[in-house]
Amino acid sequence: MAAVVTLTASDGSTVRFIDEVKARGGVKDVMFSPDETYVVAFYRGPADAASRERLLEITGRYRERIFGQAGGEYLKNLYCWPTAVVEYAGRLGVVVPFYRACFFFEHGSRNDDRLLGIRGREKVGKWFASPGHRARFLDPRELGDWMRHLRVCVMLARAVRRMHMAGLSHSDLGYNNCLIDPTTGQACLIDLDGLVVPGRHPPAVIGTPDFIAPEVIRSAHLDEGDPDRKLPSRTTDLHALAVLVYMYLLYRHPLRGDRIHDPDDAQKDEELTMGAGALFVEHPDDRSNRIRAEDLRPGESPWKDTRRLPYTITGPYLSALFERSFVHGLHEPALRPTADEWETALVKTVDLLQPCANPACEQKWYPFDNSTLPRCPFCGTPHRGKLPVLNLYSSHEKGRFLSDKHRVMVYDGQSLFRWHQNRFIFPNEKLSGDDTRRVGYFVAHQGDWYLVNERLSGMRDVSAGLDIPIGARVLLEEGARILLSPELGGRLLMVQMAGG
Amino acid sequence: MTRRLLTYLCIDTSGSMNGEPIVAVNAGLQALLGSLRTNPYALDSVHLSITTFDSEIKEVLPMTAVVDVILPEIVCPRSGATLLGEALERICEQVAREVRKSTDTAKGDWKPMLVILTDGKPTDTLAYSEVIPRVRAAGFAAVVACAAGPKADPTQLTRLTEHVVSLDTMDAASFGKFFQWVSETVSKDSQSRGSSSAVALPPPPPEINVVL
Repeated sequence: MAAVVTLTASDGSTVRFIDEVKARGGVKDVMFSPDETYVVAFYRGPADAASRERLLEITGRYRERIFGQAGGEYLKNLYCWPTAVVEYAGRLGVVVPFYRACFFFEHGSRNDDRLLGIRGREKVGKWFASPGHRARFLDPRELGDWMRHLRVCVMLARAVRRMHMAGLSHSDLGYNNCLIDPTTGQACLIDLDGLVVPGRHPPAVIGTPDFIAPEVIRSAHLDEGDPDRKLPSRTTDLHALAVLVYMYLLYRHPLRGDRIHDPDDAQKDEELTMGAGALFVEHPDDRSNRIRAEDLRPGESPWKDTRRLPYTITGPYLSALFERSFVHGLHEPALRPTADEWETALVKTVDLLQPCANPACEQKWYPFDNSTLPRCPFCGTPHRGKLPVLNLYSSHEKGRFLSDKHRVMVYDGQSLFRWHQNRFIFPNEKLSGDDTRRVGYFVAHQGDWYLVNERLSGMRDVSAGLDIPIGARVLLEEGARILLSPELGGRLLMVQMAGG
Repeated sequence: MTRRLLTYLCIDTSGSMNGEPIVAVNAGLQALLGSLRTNPYALDSVHLSITTFDSEIKEVLPMTAVVDVILPEIVCPRSGATLLGEALERICEQVAREVRKSTDTAKGDWKPMLVILTDGKPTDTLAYSEVIPRVRAAGFAAVVACAAGPKADPTQLTRLTEHVVSLDTMDAASFGKFFQWVSETVSKDSQSRGSSSAVALPPPPPEINVVL
């Protein structure tokens, strides 16, 4: 048994760890605390003043900027943020909370984990973003469904948005530096000790392959002082975020097509694929980087078949952002959608979800495709029965309602929340207690759909001119108009009926 | 198409490896494979082949994807020569045959890796001298050589590659650390291709001596 070392950390706390390397990262050795509630990660290089100052900032001022504000408690789930700095035997270390249990494989790989032996290991995102790994290696109980993957993306976008709001950029976002749990829809950013503050701490690395922005790769050969050299920044984080969302929802890389840039040198070809020659595999006009469906390996179909599962199956809000990220903004960083826009589009897409009628469907949920007869794009099963579609409008002045370009799909067990009731309320880390409880729900009765009012004091059926008191219900039929709140920003539902 | 990362392991089975050393090598290979299987990047691209050399050259594991590898038990005769030169010739032929080249329409493999483990010095000195330029021209991204034990001759290996690692002892602990290092090198390589043009080896563990 290795010795337990006791130190006093930068914040004055007592830190204890077992002096035995439990894991090795790229630049750090990781030791566990005796009670396994935190780890101490030591840099292998000798301690220097600049690194010490940077780590003290990250564990001090920057940490405070994120967690010391509204929603700080909620955000603790989204980051594994270093809490303190220690020094031992001439080396610098950071104290980091232990990952939550949901981020370790419970079942691992197939065949009772005899295939790979990964049970108990960290759920690095790469496992879930590769269709071959999903189909051939992972135990199906680890995979989650499409709704939970969407939630994972909401969490990631939220985590990145909050950092950007605080003036920080991650600089090495990728599936190595985020743990995800598709079985519950959680995500957590890790390895935050490399954070970049513009103008203060230059980035230490150029990023993780697959996620490095094209302008960074294209200019990587230039000197750091060269004005044309592009280093990781907020806008390169936005490229990485777009790639992550695309990969977690479609299980393929948006730039890895079959176009060959340099047949003689695989390394050079790779640099061009991700850098100067980067091209979206689903570019509407330039088809030269399509993924050839006939070359796919076992388990990769249908995910890598962009004709069967084009990005447009993710719904209109996300499709628009994918186009901005990979068609217009791929080589134009200023055009990339912000993390805030991603979070909004992802949250709105949750409202477009429909449960698949096929109990054997692996994805279980799919976004409404805006058609009168929707079907699951993953397994092809058509929707059964009537399908009410609620179009949200909100008041801008008394009696004047404008479309919010936001739809809510109705299914059994679907609920209405405060953020549906008023345009000024958005579901994020700042929402607390009472506002997170549902205000109404939907129920099917003898082939018709009803909205039941649970907590809306000003709800009114505008078409019929009748108030709907708490506890009462209203029939959802084509053209029905239902006011949820008479306040400014209050929502009006306009009902359309789809389905057979 | 996904590019493959072909890794050639070239292992000395001459008489002096008999006993504890070869047991340790087998255990080390098992650990290497186990560790590669838990790495989602390595699973995507890494393929392994094992060639042993004593008085004979044997390809004991043909090039196989990590997930499909069934490790053979490596055995060695009580005595015999150390035909490293001839083994490397075979591997150069294999490379020429197995590494898929890119074409205008299909992506080929990454540059392959070569790992050599020996506890002595080549007895086919002429063949060894002749094969060195061929190995250098074969297009390996990295050649890592391990000189194990007191009788190994690192100077012979430095003619082949700048990455020579020296093990003082030939016990399970040293081999275990060496294979762990190989695993880290291959794993890192399987995910970092594309970010930088040169293949950077992770620093070897402190118990191993690097011959410069």
